[in-house]
Amino acid sequence: MRVDLTDSLSSLLPKEAFGFSVPSSLPAALRTDVETIIAPGSVEEVAMLLQWASERGVGVVPIGTGGHTYPRCPSDPFIVLTTSRLNEIQHYEPADLTMAAGAGVLIRDLATEMAIHGQWLPFDPPDVRNRTLGGLVATGLSGPLWAGYGQLRNHVLGATIVCGNGQTVRLGGKVVKNVAGFDILKPMVGSRGELAIITSATVRIFPLPVLDRLLVLEAADISELVPTARAIATAPIMPASVSLRATSNRSRLLVRLHGAQVSVDSDQKSLEKHTSVSFEVRDSPEDQSLMLEERGGGMNTEPAVRVWALPSRIDALLDVLKQVPGASLNADVYGGSVRVYLPEQISDIESSLTGLQKDIEELGGTMRALQIPAEVNASAYFTKPLADEGELASGLKRAFDPQSILWGIG
Amino acid sequence: MTRPLPSTVVSDLAEIVGHEHVITDPERLLVYESDGLTAYRRPPRAVVLPSSTEEISAVVELLHSNGIEVIPRGAGTGLSGGALTTPEGVIVGTARMNRILKIDVENRLAIAQPGVINARLTEATNPYGLYYAPDPSSQSTCTLGGNVAENSGGPHCLKYGVTARYVTGLTVVLAGGRIVQLGGVGRDPYSTLDLVGLFVGSEGCFGIATEIEIRLLPITEGVRTLLGIFESVESAGRAVTKIMASGLMPAAVEIVDGPTIEAVEASVFAAGYPLEAGAALVIEFDGTEAGLDLDADRAEKCCLEEGAIEVQRATDPEHRVKLWRARKKAFGAMGRIAPDLLVQDATVPRTKLPEVLAGIDDIGNRYGLKIANVFHAGDGNLHPNILFDRQNQNELELVELASKEIMQLCVDAGGTITGEHGVGVDKREYMTLVHGPAELEAMAAAKRVFDPASLFNPGKVLPDVEGEGTTKSEKILAMGE
Repeated sequence: MRVDLTDSLSSLLPKEAFGFSVPSSLPAALRTDVETIIAPGSVEEVAMLLQWASERGVGVVPIGTGGHTYPRCPSDPFIVLTTSRLNEIQHYEPADLTMAAGAGVLIRDLATEMAIHGQWLPFDPPDVRNRTLGGLVATGLSGPLWAGYGQLRNHVLGATIVCGNGQTVRLGGKVVKNVAGFDILKPMVGSRGELAIITSATVRIFPLPVLDRLLVLEAADISELVPTARAIATAPIMPASVSLRATSNRSRLLVRLHGAQVSVDSDQKSLEKHTSVSFEVRDSPEDQSLMLEERGGGMNTEPAVRVWALPSRIDALLDVLKQVPGASLNADVYGGSVRVYLPEQISDIESSLTGLQKDIEELGGTMRALQIPAEVNASAYFTKPLADEGELASGLKRAFDPQSILWGIG
Repeated sequence: MTRPLPSTVVSDLAEIVGHEHVITDPERLLVYESDGLTAYRRPPRAVVLPSSTEEISAVVELLHSNGIEVIPRGAGTGLSGGALTTPEGVIVGTARMNRILKIDVENRLAIAQPGVINARLTEATNPYGLYYAPDPSSQSTCTLGGNVAENSGGPHCLKYGVTARYVTGLTVVLAGGRIVQLGGVGRDPYSTLDLVGLFVGSEGCFGIATEIEIRLLPITEGVRTLLGIFESVESAGRAVTKIMASGLMPAAVEIVDGPTIEAVEASVFAAGYPLEAGAALVIEFDGTEAGLDLDADRAEKCCLEEGAIEVQRATDPEHRVKLWRARKKAFGAMGRIAPDLLVQDATVPRTKLPEVLAGIDDIGNRYGLKIANVFHAGDGNLHPNILFDRQNQNELELVELASKEIMQLCVDAGGTITGEHGVGVDKREYMTLVHGPAELEAMAAAKRVFDPASLFNPGKVLPDVEGEGTTKSEKILAMGE
């Protein structure tokens, strides 16, 4: 059903909040059901909008760039709220290594500003530059670089959120150490828009490494690279990231070393001694970009899932994934997770996913659908949280979104 | 006067943990009347010392079913009164839960009980080339369970982050004795909300962590330690800003000020710092051996450009210990100067350090109080230590006024009221300096999800409801009587 609540909202929000077109990246299930999306321009407007929606039982689907899977299609009526007008850098003090910005600011715009001061945000989930800060925080995605820098959750210092009932809450602050009260900020990171709309966030940023070296090892089959990858993961030095990439015709082990030239040289030497292999070296950003960008860059269109297991079980995990012929893999060796891109023309995707999920869960791992064709019920392919965790999470959902109007991403 | 526990409850507790692990003797209970913040004292009705998750669960079930409040306690080294009992409370201590259950070298993980001493985990994992990064100053006595409750920091958290970064999974006992698993490596961290992250730092108000899954790091190859001597704490603060803005990533950057140097040099911990120094800056780099001298050279240059009188560099491990001595032994040395010490804790943006330090100096002068600063300068985490005599009622009131002004100064500079010691009972009144009603209600709502009847560590973290007019110094005196 096509829903247009613009008339009802026009007295509430300024005209600039309307007329935004539906991004093509938004899942088809949502795209077909909305006339326009609403773009509030301030935290106050977000609060008014959510209060309005809460009072009327109207569902709200928050989006950044809108590239995620929505496992549950909201019940009617609902609106789509984009953070695209919350797009100002609010505070940047390079000497403090902190930055606060609106949720709709694109990471690439933050990166441009930070690069002027020799700083960056060291997180590299796929296509990170085209994500919004709010989207990054809401998904909690760090990418393989978490190995060297810690997860995003540890570097979000503060956020302003608007809860489901329209209540604005300012969490954390702009200092790097802060234990003034219960850390409600933590469950907001990665909450996927289920608890509240994140309207701005303050993050800790880092100095750009003097040298960012990429070590590459190629093989015909990914399984040939696993022993070397695991040896690196247990080596006495800690690279910035270690990942494995495999497509139908090529497999690569990618190791990033960050630091001054002399220490990077030394780390490379140590790793080569520890693993008894010689790596191909890529030092220039141009040289690295094609290899580092996931699947050639840009949001992907293939069906995709992400699976997790203990890092030491990465070999077993990859063995299981062999049952999906033609799949491309991107494994974070330290994190024990693999993004699996299924062939676009896969036949009987549901039975493939069901079999995969069963095998992964038998390994003690978990699976989550990232991108699933609209006709497939994505929510079936999410490993359920532990029962008690689910109950506590539901309690938090009721506390922060009492009318249950927020429909988050998967 | 503390009301004794009903004898049936005592015997039921003894049934669970053994008679010798239930303490009700008033003299023995005095050991548990305060934590590291001794200004607040009150003996509990009883202390129970379980030895397993199941025992903690049974103890909590018994106490909660009798409507008795549970006050979790690790080693009692906390500095915010977090382990202070309520008048009706029973302390559940984790001292007997001191086993490291698993060291998983391949995945760089350990699973430990909450009573394991922080430093012991590093000792136990060192033979495997691993260690546990968070290193609070009390690490030789504080417990991992206490670290989880307080989200503890330490000097090297500048580079490596605080406890929350290293806790990957928890077994917890919640209200009514319910045993719950949260998180764990090998599972999608966002298959649900980050409940581990929420539990860490909940100051014993949500439940008791009974098994802690911890991420370990590989021991770094090398270390370089520098000591910069400055004429003033402001110039040392400017050097810190310069070092951090230059792109360097030190493992630790610590400042001790002139009054602290005086105290240390007059004590058995004397480290040979010049008495005329206004401040000393300890800077440490760790990592790959090959790059460390370069980093140390750059940091030394930053110090000299900001007016350092001299910069020393540790030449061997013993020299390193000596350079750290004034920082590590500062609190002990201050006992020579005054009978009581209030260790304050606040964080400000690093660039605000010089002006905030000048402001603290001004506050001390105005109230006629001696304030010595020892702090984690790299992350802007200040520890102004107010020296006083609690027997002097007038001075106690001045300490309270000065503390509040210091907190306000830090908040006005864009900071917060505690960086690593927690709120406990001590800073509840200051919570409204940084949080409004909506933020406090959100925190209260989170507590209700875990502890609906508020039977875990009540009266901590969240401020009193309006109308309780008693001042902090009156409370301290009342409890001490």
